Amino acid sequence: MKFFSQSFLYDDPWPIVSLAFFLRYPNPYAAHVISCDVISRNQTSSGSLLTTRLILKRGAMPRWFPKGIVSRAESWVIEESEVDPHGMVVRCRTKNLDHVKVMQVEEAVEFRQTPEGKTLQHTEARIVSGFGWGLTKRIENHGLTRFKANLQRSREGVSLILSLLRQSRLQPI
Amino acid sequence: MADSLSPECTPLKSKYDTCFNAWFEGYLEPAVTVSSSERSAYSKEKADEFEAKCGKVWGQYRACVQKAVMEKGLGDLLQQAREENPLREPPVVQSSRRTS
Repeated sequence: MKFFSQSFLYDDPWPIVSLAFFLRYPNPYAAHVISCDVISRNQTSSGSLLTTRLILKRGAMPRWFPKGIVSRAESWVIEESEVDPHGMVVRCRTKNLDHVKVMQVEEAVEFRQTPEGKTLQHTEARIVSGFGWGLTKRIENHGLTRFKANLQRSREGVSLILSLLRQSRLQPI
Repeated sequence: MADSLSPECTPLKSKYDTCFNAWFEGYLEPAVTVSSSERSAYSKEKADEFEAKCGKVWGQYRACVQKAVMEKGLGDLLQQAREENPLREPPVVQSSRRTS
């Protein structure tokens, strides 16, 4: 198992960063996202919004991976999120639903308003392979490398949406 | 906006997304100082506002996606994943608007 955690500070306040996070698909940094659907969404009486999304992502297997095991390099991902506008927190968990024996990636991300009015993103990931055949470690290492690179791209995607939101808010109505 | 998993649901999804996003932008910025008793009034108000503006298209889009999920044989996979997830049923609080 590989564990990874990282924090990142956005200069923008929490409401706009959270909006950008939910609007992040599609963007040029996420061309691997084939579809994204809301499966359920409801509000709790304490004022939080709970959302479940089902996302289909395209992946690529590394060249050294044995042929014929994974027939299609696509993966269904479930995303469960909670938005608390009063506490100014977004919590979001994602994990892949298929190919879990080859590799399961569980990600937990949180966005919180800081006292300075900025937004702190904290990401944690757990990467587990149950593949065996002497490849488990290699698969997990590969998964971790890819996760780090994707996290960077995902942040660039959110930043792009953020700049578009900022621009549109500057436009006079 | 990203496509739906089923092409026939994509037009409904676009309509729903547009409606939801406009509502969500306001939802994210409640009045600055809200006491806990005002919170439930706020969520009720926002829930009613959502229902009035987007309720109909949400119902249509959800029905379309649920059908597509079943047709693709994803129902069990999804159910299992949601049962494992602690966010599905928040402890203590009762949901004011069950939509699933």
